[in-house]
Amino acid sequence: MNILEFSHIEKTYGTKENQVRALCDINLRIKEGEFAAIVGTSGSGKSTLLNLAGGLDTPTKGKILVKGREIDSLTRKELTIFRRRNIGFVFQNYSLMPVLNVYDNVALPVTFDRGRHVSHKYIEELLRELGIWEKRKKYPGELSGGQQQRVAIARALANRPAILLADEPTGNLDSATTVEVIGLLKASCRKYSQTILMVTHNEAIAQTCDRIIRIEDGRIADRNLVRNREKGGDGIC
Amino acid sequence: MLKLAYQYMRHYKSQTFAIFASIFLTAALMSGIGSLMHSSRKNDVENSRRIYGDWHYCVETGETAETEMFTISGMETSDKRKAAGFRLEQYARAQVVGGLSEPYQIQFLHVDESYRRMLHREITEGREPSGENEIAADNYTLANVGFEGGIGDTLELGGKSYALTGIVKSKWSSGADEMEVFVGEGTGRTKWYLRFDENEKLYKQMEAFQEQYRIPGDAVETNDSLTMYLGGERPDSIADIIKFALTDERGNFTYIILKLQSEYNLAFHGMIALLGVFSLFVVYSVFNISVSKRKAEYAVLQTLGISERAIGGTLVMELWQLFLAGYPLGCLFGNGILKLCYQWLGGVFADKTTGGGKAAVSVTDRIATQGTSMQDAGNPVFQVSWGVILTGFIFLFLALAAAGFLTVRAMRRHTLRETMGGDVSFYKGRRKIYSRRGANLANVAVRKFMFLNKRRAIGIILSLSVGGCIFLCTTYMAENLKVHAEMSLKSDDGLGSEYRISVRSDCLADVIPKSVVDEVKKMPEVSRTYASKYIFGELSVDKKRMEWVDYFDEQNKDSYFAMHYGGICVDKGDGTYGIKYNVYGYDRGMLEELRDFLLEGEIREGEMKKGNKVIAVANVDGQGNYNFYGYHPGDSITVRVPRERNCPPEALRFDGERSDYVEKEFEIAAIVSRPLAKEDNFLCINGWEDAGIQSLIMTNQQMEDNYGIEDYSIINASPVHGADTQRISGQILKAVKDIPKTVFRDYAAAIETQKNYLRQQQLFFTGIAAILLVISLFHIMNSMNYSILARRREYGIIRAMGITDAGFYRMILWTGILYGLLADMALFLIYHLVLRRAMDYYMTHVVQFLHLTSGIPGGVFAAVLVMNVVISAAAVMVPARKIAAGDIAAEIAE
Repeated sequence: MNILEFSHIEKTYGTKENQVRALCDINLRIKEGEFAAIVGTSGSGKSTLLNLAGGLDTPTKGKILVKGREIDSLTRKELTIFRRRNIGFVFQNYSLMPVLNVYDNVALPVTFDRGRHVSHKYIEELLRELGIWEKRKKYPGELSGGQQQRVAIARALANRPAILLADEPTGNLDSATTVEVIGLLKASCRKYSQTILMVTHNEAIAQTCDRIIRIEDGRIADRNLVRNREKGGDGIC
Repeated sequence: MLKLAYQYMRHYKSQTFAIFASIFLTAALMSGIGSLMHSSRKNDVENSRRIYGDWHYCVETGETAETEMFTISGMETSDKRKAAGFRLEQYARAQVVGGLSEPYQIQFLHVDESYRRMLHREITEGREPSGENEIAADNYTLANVGFEGGIGDTLELGGKSYALTGIVKSKWSSGADEMEVFVGEGTGRTKWYLRFDENEKLYKQMEAFQEQYRIPGDAVETNDSLTMYLGGERPDSIADIIKFALTDERGNFTYIILKLQSEYNLAFHGMIALLGVFSLFVVYSVFNISVSKRKAEYAVLQTLGISERAIGGTLVMELWQLFLAGYPLGCLFGNGILKLCYQWLGGVFADKTTGGGKAAVSVTDRIATQGTSMQDAGNPVFQVSWGVILTGFIFLFLALAAAGFLTVRAMRRHTLRETMGGDVSFYKGRRKIYSRRGANLANVAVRKFMFLNKRRAIGIILSLSVGGCIFLCTTYMAENLKVHAEMSLKSDDGLGSEYRISVRSDCLADVIPKSVVDEVKKMPEVSRTYASKYIFGELSVDKKRMEWVDYFDEQNKDSYFAMHYGGICVDKGDGTYGIKYNVYGYDRGMLEELRDFLLEGEIREGEMKKGNKVIAVANVDGQGNYNFYGYHPGDSITVRVPRERNCPPEALRFDGERSDYVEKEFEIAAIVSRPLAKEDNFLCINGWEDAGIQSLIMTNQQMEDNYGIEDYSIINASPVHGADTQRISGQILKAVKDIPKTVFRDYAAAIETQKNYLRQQQLFFTGIAAILLVISLFHIMNSMNYSILARRREYGIIRAMGITDAGFYRMILWTGILYGLLADMALFLIYHLVLRRAMDYYMTHVVQFLHLTSGIPGGVFAAVLVMNVVISAAAVMVPARKIAAGDIAAEIAE
């Protein structure tokens, strides 16, 4: 079953002579539970595709279906609620709130949805799973890059989203930490039956994913590389 | 550098506009108020010239010196005048050829044409007197001596007949009571009226003049009302003032303030300095916000090898370009607006008006001198203060340059890498997990963002409270000014009522019969008729109680008091001082009005009569401190008054037989700061009008019971609303004209003028408060806008995490409300702990307001507090909308 569908998506920025076509006629389907990597050169449109998938941006043309719902038809409020319940984000620069400690950073999106009724048990489980329980009272500025990215992943998982969108999650990390983070993403994908769409520059990391979507000049260039998880998807680099 | 600065200005258009607007508005405010105060001062000078005469000094000489003085006329060339150290522009001569003390004090003067011009005593009708028995006089004098004829008719004065040849223009000044008639010939002591070059220090010119003509200091009279604005007396140096305050036991901080005010016009310079600092604060703050947005770019420039000095130069160039454009335009705007409004605001800073008891003229006089009526006196002219504009320009020009370089210097606190990274704040707060406590994490984040940079947060909170503080201070001052002015009008100016009838005599036997009082009270168009009784007395004070030993020194030195009363405060040789006092009888209405002036005790007419209690008026020193010889309500005092009203003048020395006086002991019921009805024949004369403070007050009934006084000395009355004041004046004049030595004064126009000035002041101060508030608001909007937009990325993250638009707005609104509430707290504390205390001190000791009980109405205070919250909330919602409308992905990527 497709959890994410792009149909004839186009995205253009600017007007007239300043017009830049970021995406052109994108047609893509992501299956539930799939761990797909989007690769491409800088400016090829990878992040734009991810932002459109997460409802952070709107396409100029075309249709995007997430869990069968056309997100363009949703009102701003509906989209916001839909996003926080179904989509988790992991950014390259972690994008943590510097004034909240680890625990509160993770709990933040949950409080938007459930107010005071936060499942602290689940958050504790997440933090322990990601190995940052001991750091729960630390502030982002006191953590290493890898630890911050773990927090970002925990936050993305806090609302138990169906889809996890990761934009270069290992871009700022060293190779050892990169391995750890990708491992965590894969583990969570498996444990919580999540679909992961990850933008990366790192070809080696991409090779460990179920599928690689290559984008060049705003178009999908190659989408036939699909790896079978059972056939060695766990092996990374 | 210039080009780079220009490019930055073009790129950051909104910030460039904000800096320009801040310069424009503050320049308009500073130069406008400077010009307004300057114009008022100039108009005061011109009013003083008109009221007190266009002369600076008067030298009195006998006939022997006359020939020498005439050599003045030989000094026509400017070289000679300069060489002598003075430049005499005009002089006039008046010879006092005689005088009368009955029925009024009237001087007979023989004057030259120059005198008439300088003292504004031109002949308005008829001609100059020439022969021995010819005179010219003003309508006031003619009316009060009972002359009803016209030019050419005969007038009896001092048993001699004179032919009236001309009508003289009436006096404006306090001298209205000193009647003068002009004769054609005669000799006597000569008064020389001198006017020097006002572009030079007057006191220096007079010193040179005195040296040239060997004139002793005590022969010189100064036209203080005019020369106080023009440097008529040598000022003490600031160092001497401070030295005295620090070393002499009489010196204190108030002394410094008062001296600086009187000798260096502290109020004007202080106001300009405050406005200058306020302007700098606003411009610098707006500029700082603008720069903080591009610090990263400056750090990049530095990494490319551009020196810190060059970046500082770029910033200064940018500021100067905007300053050179904004400052002149702001000055033009501020002065232009005020010039248009000036005709309605002319009285705002006027410290002297043509109203007041001192300037009152009689009804007949007012009718006869319509060409120079009170309304014409203050025909204000707006004058641009180039001094303030230039000083402001130099101050801001240099201060902005310093600000530019300081801003660059402040960037040194962080490394270039940190500065390039943007937000250099590192948060390390409390280890509390807020989500476990059920807290709203968005609000927690917002609160923490606010205080991430404590200096900035405090800056914003203080900025928010500045506008409110200024508004509250102005309102507080305006409220108290209003009450003080009303009280002062009643007491010091004697303008509590439109009409005043009093006896112009230094003989206690001259009174207004009770029947006349009853007649005035019965007039249908007259209301609030208050009649007062009067007797001159002496208060006995134990020497040990005398805390202000030198309080009466100056009064004692006055030759008039020494001659007539043997001094004001006299050592009786029995361990007491005898102090001359006015003893008044007030009726119920006046006692009620006196309650506004209460310092201690209670004013209850019934109890005063029952216990034969009196009200004492406290002495006040130059710093606004009140004291009644250490006596308080409940204490007893001993007062003596002459037994016979028709007593010989020597009896007023209080050194006659004991049997010549009635001595009584009274309990003090209350102590007040001022009397209301004031005599002007005994103690309140010769420039000692304040001596009216030496007063004891009882009821009219007590005056009769204690001293057998049935008749009155002063009547105050007012017209009923809508009455024909001219007709009432005529009726009252008719009722009193047969009473010997009685003078009637019509203050209706003077009161209206004063009230009009007061209204202008209220309007002006409210207007200025509103303008300052607008400038503060502009500053607040800019600061808040920045504080929200600076967190654009974090708000983007929160939005990406799934906060709805409504939730986002609520979160930002909470920021605004929090800022508003904190600003309210700051405002409350700053206002009550600092500003109000400072203002109370200023009002009590410097400007010496009569009371301080008029606080800001609760509604106004509450409105300011609410406004702070509303403004803050509104100010944050503008950038919030901008953020909400923006692209989340782009915001996160920033």
